[in-house]
Amino acid sequence: MTNLEKLNNIFSEVFSVEQSVLNADFCKDNVEGWDSVRQLSLTTALEDEFDIMLDAEDILEVTSYEKTKVILKKYDIEI
Amino acid sequence: MANWRINNVALRGVTGTVPNNPVKTADFPFFTREEADIFDATVGIRNRYIASDSICASDLCFDAAERLIEGLGWTKESIDVLLFVSVTGDYKTPPTSAILQDRLGLPTSTFVLDLPMGCCGCMYGITVAGNLLSSGTVKRALVLVGDTAMRMGSPKDKSRVPLFGDSGTAMALEYDTTAEDIFVEMNTLGSGYQALMTPHGGYRHPVTKESFEYEDFGKGIIRAPKDALINGMDVFSFAISKPPISVRKMLDDFGLDKDKDVDYFLIHQANKLIVDRIVKKLKLDEAKVPYNLQEFGNLGGASIPMLMVSELAKDMETRPLTLLCSAFGLGLTWGTMVIKTKQVKVIPIYKL
Repeated sequence: MTNLEKLNNIFSEVFSVEQSVLNADFCKDNVEGWDSVRQLSLTTALEDEFDIMLDAEDILEVTSYEKTKVILKKYDIEI
Repeated sequence: MANWRINNVALRGVTGTVPNNPVKTADFPFFTREEADIFDATVGIRNRYIASDSICASDLCFDAAERLIEGLGWTKESIDVLLFVSVTGDYKTPPTSAILQDRLGLPTSTFVLDLPMGCCGCMYGITVAGNLLSSGTVKRALVLVGDTAMRMGSPKDKSRVPLFGDSGTAMALEYDTTAEDIFVEMNTLGSGYQALMTPHGGYRHPVTKESFEYEDFGKGIIRAPKDALINGMDVFSFAISKPPISVRKMLDDFGLDKDKDVDYFLIHQANKLIVDRIVKKLKLDEAKVPYNLQEFGNLGGASIPMLMVSELAKDMETRPLTLLCSAFGLGLTWGTMVIKTKQVKVIPIYKL
């Protein structure tokens, strides 16, 4: 599985959405149910899948699908 | 710097009382079955005990205190200090601790104090009582920690209602020159006070007609200014960043090895995501981190004493333990405490 597929699976599962809706508009302000609990579920799933430990400030920055890719890159996870 | 090394104080006993009204996540009218299942799986709080409007935190603490005093065989006359640690006291004035002094039949010579300190309540209670007892001038203290947090908020606030449970706990502390020192490290970030607050009802914003006007904030959050609020994102950023730093500092300052020197880590049971995060960040041995949030929810300041009762009873009664406690909550306040216990009387939870 590619890293992109892994990422899409995580988003799809955490937000209970089809992968087709994952695009540049998929962010905290546009997504129903993107609250602090979902954000922490999302970042925990990312950490488990990619075997990384995100810093607290990076967890707070995971506020959109696109930003998530940028943050993962900081941890040498290329999407 | 708010660091203490409290000498000559032993934890003698602990117990807790909950209202006999278990509420499952799926019982909340604002959740679909699917939402309730997701909440249970992620937040981890499947059950909580909710007090009826006629039961106050003081009633739950009263029950716990009576059972603890009896279990320890203490006479009422021997108790010098009574602390009531709660943000849900009986009245705005007088202090509930004074009312409890009378209800419990403690002598009029009792020193009483209310501490409205939220989720760090256990640590504040032990720090204050410990320092009062340390010189030996007074010998015995009861620290009652409890809240009926559910009633503080709006019943229509989906972001808050399912997180909390109600309870009352009692801890007994005693002057003892053979007791191991208690280490405490406390911190405050007052600039973050709006993350967890009840906007109306104090003297900054007394209750007016406007206090009861409900507003829909979206995402299932409907509340009025009289209701306690949680700014989830602020609390979450605070809770995942500050406590691990404080725990590390405590371990470093006192030369403690987290794997060898600590028997259990008692982490404030805010929710599973936050506790898991702290465990992961500190690389703690999961077998040393008890959870009871699945059964009780977030009990505020009573979270740590209830962990002792529900998860560590046998261990605490039978062998010496080193407990590292980590709490964080309104204020914003957070801290770490290391307490070494020996043969603590743990009386089972009672459902009132």
